[in-house]
Amino acid sequence: MYIGILGAWIAVFLTLSILSYLYEDNVFYKFAEHIFVGVSAAHWASIAFWNQVQPNLFGRLWPQAEVAALDGFQKFWYGIYHGLHVLFGKIFPEATINGVLYRGIGDQPQNLSYLIAFVLGLFMLFRLIPKIGWLSRWSLAYVIGMAAGLRLYGYMSSDVIGQIHATMLPLWTGNVGSSINNIILIVGVLTGLFYFFFSVEHKGALKVVSRIGIYFLMVYFGASFGFAVMGRISLLIGRFNDLILYSGKEYGFATPILLVVMVVVLILTTRKKKSEEV
Amino acid sequence: MVKSKFGEKFVNFLGKLDSLDRRIIFLIIGIVVLIPLLLPLGLPIETTQLTEDAFYALDALPQDAKVLMSFEYGPSTKPEIHPMAISVLRHLFSKGNKVIIMCLWPDGLFMANEALDLVARQEFDLEYGVDYVNLGYRPGNEAIIKGITKSFAANFSIDAKGTSISKLPIMNDIQTARDVDFIFSLSAGYPGAIEWVLYAGDPLQVPVSSGNTSIQVNQLLPYVKSGQMKGIIAGMPGAAEYETMVIRKIEENIGIITPEARELLPQFKERRNATKFMDAQSIAHLVIVLFIVLGNISFFVKRRQQRKY
Repeated sequence: MYIGILGAWIAVFLTLSILSYLYEDNVFYKFAEHIFVGVSAAHWASIAFWNQVQPNLFGRLWPQAEVAALDGFQKFWYGIYHGLHVLFGKIFPEATINGVLYRGIGDQPQNLSYLIAFVLGLFMLFRLIPKIGWLSRWSLAYVIGMAAGLRLYGYMSSDVIGQIHATMLPLWTGNVGSSINNIILIVGVLTGLFYFFFSVEHKGALKVVSRIGIYFLMVYFGASFGFAVMGRISLLIGRFNDLILYSGKEYGFATPILLVVMVVVLILTTRKKKSEEV
Repeated sequence: MVKSKFGEKFVNFLGKLDSLDRRIIFLIIGIVVLIPLLLPLGLPIETTQLTEDAFYALDALPQDAKVLMSFEYGPSTKPEIHPMAISVLRHLFSKGNKVIIMCLWPDGLFMANEALDLVARQEFDLEYGVDYVNLGYRPGNEAIIKGITKSFAANFSIDAKGTSISKLPIMNDIQTARDVDFIFSLSAGYPGAIEWVLYAGDPLQVPVSSGNTSIQVNQLLPYVKSGQMKGIIAGMPGAAEYETMVIRKIEENIGIITPEARELLPQFKERRNATKFMDAQSIAHLVIVLFIVLGNISFFVKRRQQRKY
């Protein structure tokens, strides 16, 4: 109950603080901005660690195993895990189930090739140590190479081939409306592409083609702007809806009280600033 | 030529509009958004082809179909996309479909939990792990999508609650993304709907659709036109249309509908957020169009005055 009210007050305060930037840059806005950056970074890091690194990396290097059944290399390997457990018990848990001691995380099959990913991940952290910071380039090289390969395939297959295929349309379909649609689409694609073809000077008939291409691009930009405005208004509606929700008695009149306080503070600060300037 | 005194004043006023304090414009927009939220007008919602395509693609799925829903949005885009998430979940659960949820954005996990808490737990009272599951967030963007085309277990060893996915009945016959019947991405940017088309929909030939922010619509339309996506729910208007279509489907008894969904209809009607928001959206758009027209008139009047002197 009280947590809910406190949450509403914090939400209202931060929303009004961000909106106050529309009046002018001020201390409320800066405060909310810094909180946002800090909380986002911490939130992302903790979520990524507990959802990916711990179960998917450590869980594959050390899946849960009965300690008494370990022998040879595995005994040594899980000995390392035990050392990590002593240092970081929450990340590397041990459990006694029905009197039997288990070490490890989850029930994935063990895959020691994940050691390569682990080492590359550690190399990324070496950026913090200037002397061996160069090692992080190996990790970056892997990430860039993997991403480039992955994207190249996706774009070639779906964007280039898929879209070229979708543009190969009949100019006459037997229906006037769809035929006009197809013609507009084909003319738009060809003239739009030609506008970005700079190996020939755009003059005479080519200038006309290029100009038609610009018109198509302008329509695209206009539509994008319209959609962008629509999206921003939607977000404003969402915030206003929350402000209205939190303005009631059950939330201790959070919105009207904080609004009045902030307006008064902003007016006083502006007056003070003006008098200092004079 | 403007001859009357009033006309002259009006022209001067228009000429000065471009130097208007922008804070006055913000205030006007704020007021026109606020008033319809406090006093709803109930403007009618007409459905469009894009939303209808998405709706009918999902509606055509058989009762035992499993749908993969990916949450790729956060609080910043919640007003646009969250009503879509709720409507799509209501639609799928009202047909008895199973839903597998995953998140490619960290904040998506909270959005998914909120939507599931309302629709799966409070409204339909479904069984976790049997009727739906939340696999949680995984960092890695398109690498995760690519990964689940090979193996779910390799990327999601546990769900959002920490349960091993091998212990979840809903995941029994799901080894890869190829095993789901439909992919629905609730997308606010990268990674999002485009990545689902590129790395899962096209390579595996699994139908993909999306509920997305308005700003993404232009980027996604080519995929809809080419058939790589089965329609899209575009921004808040799309969300309002989808809400209307789900309610109409249950009201008019079209296709597969579970008895629970019929009982829940009054609640669905009452909790129509996107439809409620559309009044404010429409009025704000009218005012912005008016500003653009006035801005242009002001520009031409000023240019004419400058030429005169």
